[in-house]
Amino acid sequence: MMIYFELFRTFFKIGLFSFGGGYAILAMINQEVVLKNAWLTNSQFMDIVAISQMTPGPIAINAATFIGYQKGGFLGSVISTLGVIFPSLIVMTLITLTYIKLKNQPWFKNIFRKLRLLSLGLIAAAFIMIAGDAFRDLFSVLVFTASFIASWKFKLNPFYLLIGAAVIGIALG
Amino acid sequence: MKMILKIFITFFKIGAFTIGGAYAMIPLIRREVCQKNNWLTEDEFLDGLSAAQSCPGPIAINLSIYIGFHLAKGKGMATAVLATILPSFITILIIAMLFQQFAEVTLVQKAFHSLRPAVVALIAVPLIQMSKQSGLTLSNCWFPLSVAVLVGFLKISPVYLILITIAFAVYQGLKKQK
Repeated sequence: MMIYFELFRTFFKIGLFSFGGGYAILAMINQEVVLKNAWLTNSQFMDIVAISQMTPGPIAINAATFIGYQKGGFLGSVISTLGVIFPSLIVMTLITLTYIKLKNQPWFKNIFRKLRLLSLGLIAAAFIMIAGDAFRDLFSVLVFTASFIASWKFKLNPFYLLIGAAVIGIALG
Repeated sequence: MKMILKIFITFFKIGAFTIGGAYAMIPLIRREVCQKNNWLTEDEFLDGLSAAQSCPGPIAINLSIYIGFHLAKGKGMATAVLATILPSFITILIIAMLFQQFAEVTLVQKAFHSLRPAVVALIAVPLIQMSKQSGLTLSNCWFPLSVAVLVGFLKISPVYLILITIAFAVYQGLKKQK
């Protein structure tokens, strides 16, 4: 029973404090599931990020479903997934009802200008938290460099990039 | 009832065919909602999109809440959200069920060994791209840098930093207003 409550509480918190979408959420998820609750190791965390980028749906939801299942079976995955979208349901309903009035307020606009900069720092934090465990050998450094160039210079879609990385890993790793 | 079914099918499709994050999803949602079904005008869609980006939680989910609510109030909202998460929920559930068995297979281990540094690269690239879009300058770069150090090295929870940032932004905005 306790684990269901913990799953809901953790993913509710992740949902409530995830701004800017995507990678900015990773530092928060990593702190909650790797450092605080020790539900995953850093390597398993990276595996889930890879899986979530190759399957449909937002990372936060994918992580909730996956970890929820591992810790509490089917019910755990349902509870965690609902936990992560619950804050959206509440806050988004409030914002939808008041957005027209709020959107031209300077203080409201200023929040998102500042949060954008904060998100940048949070993505950098996620990088710091996982990079150490990813670079274990020369092969990893080479894969990182190749992926970096493919994504930055050639704007390769993450899905194809990860499929390519998996194939290279199987063939040469 | 027909409307609810239509909402369900449209958002299930949106949820199923978008791989690689919210920004891949937005053009598809726009096509389905503004052009194919004429549910929203372009202006209403853009308002919803900026509200969705302002609100905590995944952007795609926030956008389906907005559109579902607009179309059929509470019922439409619940239908749209459920339909958007269902494809990813089913996919991840199947992977999670099989994962323990497959995690031991050497080929899978090799694949993940190579996927991990690739994931790190996927995080590093938007860092550079976003620094241009988010208005980063020499005089304000101390802020994201301190956030990176506080959260990444000192393991301070982002929760406190987010709350402080919001409080400061509101204070600063109200002061300018006067």
